[in-house]
Amino acid sequence: MRTSISVNARTAEVDVEPRRLLADVLHDELGLTSVHSACEQGACGSCTVLLDQEAVRSCLLFAVQADGHRVTTVEGLGSPPRLHPVQEALAAHHAVQCGYCTPGMVLSAIDLLRRNPMPTPAQIDEAMAGNICRCSGYVSIRDAVLDAARSGGGQGRPAQAARRSDPR
Amino acid sequence: MTTTARPETRTAPLCGQPVRRVEAPRFLAGKGQYIADIHLPSTKHAAILRSPVAHAVIRSIDTSAASAAPGVIAAYTGADLARISRPFSHLLPIPTIKPLEWYVLATGKVRYIGEPLAVVVADNRYLAEDALELISVDYEELAAVTDAEQALAESAPLLYGEWGNNEFLRLEYSTGDPDAAMAAADTVLSARIGQHRVIGLPLEGHGAVGRFDHASGRLTLYASSQQPHNLRTVISDITGLSEAAIQVTAPDMGGGFGNKQHFMREEALVAVLAMQLPYPVSWLQDRVESFTASVHSRQQVHDVSVAVRRDGKVLGLKVEITADVGNPVLYFTGASPAMVTTSLVTGTYDIPSYGFVLHCAATNKCPMGAYRGFGQPQAYVTIERVMDRVAAELGLDPADVRRINMIPDEPRPFTSVTGAQYDVGSFRDQFEELLAFIDYPRLLAERDDARRHGRCLGIGLASIVETTAPNLHSVAGRFGGFEMSQLTVQPDGHVTVDVGTKSQGQGHETVLAQVAADVLTLPLEWIQVRDGDTSGLPYGMGTWGSRSAVMGGGAVLRAAEQVRDKMVRVAASMLETSEDAVALERGMFRAGEHELPLPAVASAAYLHTFLLPPGESPGLVATEAYDPGNTSPFPDENGHMNVGATYATAAGAAVVEVDPLTGNTLIRDFAVVHDCGRIINPAIVDGQIQGAFAQAVGTVFLEEIVYDPSGQLLTASLMDYLVPAFGSVPHVRIRHRETPSAMAGGFRGAGETGIILAPAALVNAVADALAPMGVTVMQTNLGARHIRELIRQAGAPRDPLAGARITVIGAP
Repeated sequence: MRTSISVNARTAEVDVEPRRLLADVLHDELGLTSVHSACEQGACGSCTVLLDQEAVRSCLLFAVQADGHRVTTVEGLGSPPRLHPVQEALAAHHAVQCGYCTPGMVLSAIDLLRRNPMPTPAQIDEAMAGNICRCSGYVSIRDAVLDAARSGGGQGRPAQAARRSDPR
Repeated sequence: MTTTARPETRTAPLCGQPVRRVEAPRFLAGKGQYIADIHLPSTKHAAILRSPVAHAVIRSIDTSAASAAPGVIAAYTGADLARISRPFSHLLPIPTIKPLEWYVLATGKVRYIGEPLAVVVADNRYLAEDALELISVDYEELAAVTDAEQALAESAPLLYGEWGNNEFLRLEYSTGDPDAAMAAADTVLSARIGQHRVIGLPLEGHGAVGRFDHASGRLTLYASSQQPHNLRTVISDITGLSEAAIQVTAPDMGGGFGNKQHFMREEALVAVLAMQLPYPVSWLQDRVESFTASVHSRQQVHDVSVAVRRDGKVLGLKVEITADVGNPVLYFTGASPAMVTTSLVTGTYDIPSYGFVLHCAATNKCPMGAYRGFGQPQAYVTIERVMDRVAAELGLDPADVRRINMIPDEPRPFTSVTGAQYDVGSFRDQFEELLAFIDYPRLLAERDDARRHGRCLGIGLASIVETTAPNLHSVAGRFGGFEMSQLTVQPDGHVTVDVGTKSQGQGHETVLAQVAADVLTLPLEWIQVRDGDTSGLPYGMGTWGSRSAVMGGGAVLRAAEQVRDKMVRVAASMLETSEDAVALERGMFRAGEHELPLPAVASAAYLHTFLLPPGESPGLVATEAYDPGNTSPFPDENGHMNVGATYATAAGAAVVEVDPLTGNTLIRDFAVVHDCGRIINPAIVDGQIQGAFAQAVGTVFLEEIVYDPSGQLLTASLMDYLVPAFGSVPHVRIRHRETPSAMAGGFRGAGETGIILAPAALVNAVADALAPMGVTVMQTNLGARHIRELIRQAGAPRDPLAGARITVIGAP
């Protein structure tokens, strides 16, 4: 099926089988390798992307369901050395170990801060409970999100990303 | 003479600073390169048919329909591939271990649900999985055994008929006279302590991508492996290719935790498939495969007898360990961590007599093997539970029982009753510092006050010593003690450091650069650490056993020193002075008033070699193999061995409150006093402790691998196997002691203490919380339903649900 998705503010036209997952199309066909498929059933959050600004599991969507929608991955946020404030806070707090859950964490945090610019620690725990990290023990990530909130980091940034990389 | 740049000056050493991770920006930007991101042109994708039954003879397999399916390149059975590849075997130098060989896919029989028995290679994974459904297998089902003790019984179904029983390994040793100690004791305590099965579970599963160059006969294998060089050796064994013809590359890894320490059948399968086909081949483990058919861990039952004097002194300890190693088709298996348990179960205590019996039982379950901690969490849950039981039995304070048994400060090294040689540090001071850190007397009063108000508050103490940078020749087969590094100062003065360790998230590109930067007095940005590529370094042992700072750091330090010394000789010649007169500071060689930037010396060594002193070879490269040489990895006649090059220590305390109505536990505090020697990057060490603590919280309160009696795995997804999430892990309070070891740099390992220490303290805290209800806790799985079950079984009068009639809605 011809499918047209705005990915990181560029239109991607892809011809996909209806059964192909959005996560697989983003990763395998559009080269957005930040989209990590770790459980393929929506339990871990590693494949989180923003769909029209809202955090979704790209392993629970077929690519054809994203037709006509806007998808943002971390490739559409900051790139070194100019990182998005949420990314910057995660680096400053040593909240990145193996990095595998990190793109999903970044996008879930941005989604949270868009909806709630000043979350409490408990609100962060609740909002991000669907993003699993096996390395950090979470405390550094929560501290980083709090820090990003204090610096106004989540506000409106994903739509107007600092720098964009080419999604091919 | 020209120089490209001058290093920026820097005053303080980098070691000891919480410098930011070099790796973080690329991971944050989604630019990490994990195994699924390795995309070679024309790659085909493998999907594996796995056994749906726990124990069966494979009468026949028919792959013809699958072979003809759309997009399919080839389909193979175990028998097909056994004709063109060699078997795996253990190569453990233990005389009593049962012989065992196995191929990349099962042949003849399957022995656990998930065991691989056929493979399809197709244009993409979707098509490969479609074709799997067309493979028909005729199974002759056999009775399965899923419990270690039942497996050891006379009448048990046999996994390997030729063994005559299911006892994969039996070991028995004793030191001193444990029987005499029991006879002479004021009290002998007996207990059974159960440790349940969990899984290391890196978030990224295993995976491999192989490409064979049919013209040159060279194999390139990408694999998400903690030990890429060792994997190359194993792939050579299986394929028959020489090691010179194989390049293994481990890209960025989404965690490892020991699970990726093992050499997987599938990694060798990908190599064999790539050699058969004119395409590169990729296999990516999915989550169900990771649960059913990677590596489980920890499942051991410990029957202990403890000889105690009435003042609380432990005179003797006997432990009978029954380990459930599943179907032991792993390069080393659950037998190996169980052996480590036997050498550390006396803990930080001076126990004169000790004996153990170890039974490793094969069962129809996923192989058991490594997980961060490697047998040590089991050791400490046991000995720390024992200390608390001794205290309860004798009416003593648990802290006092630990004090009277704690290993004294002298001598060092202290040779434990198991032969382990604890090199440095004071267990006693560390423990006292912990008690002061948590204000133990105040805590006791608080707990007692809470109890008076009917609340179940508990305090759990634990003290541990961890073998770090181990040499596990006898336990893990071939791959042990040393580490290599090759350090090159490039012509522009920038530095490349190739290492044989392999980061899985521990920040090696940062910490090993800190080590090199301090020797060369260069900024961190001038140092590039590269790991995971067998073409970059002759050999390496990978990352496991908290070895990378000690062994990798030691190798980097020595290589950096060699190159620095050479640069000093060159600089002295260029400055027309003696070596003794030259000092290297802030990237500048100085002799009196004269100075020479490091890049100028580097440039001379490659591009202006006429400036070199007579006899000095061009280039600035050193390849160093670091081996402290102080381990004795083979058991002597008493079973004594010392596997640790150096040991890390920690003492910790947990404060929990259990809700007896729901069985839920709230962790109110967790405090650690930690000694891993000289710290390279405190933020990274603290991250290791916090992260390992989270895994311990998972082990005790959430995670549990459950099989039904037929061998069906009931916890094969992240919906059924709960790992800690946001909100389940409190902040660990950490204090560091930095007692340097005699290793290069004074380093000691830091990667595992959190998960070795915390289960013992958490279990003790829950036990303490429930003690007033008459509940005895002798197990590690303490999720809500288990705690409720313990309260119910104890028939506790204070059970808030005692006497309640519970109606299950919808029950028949």
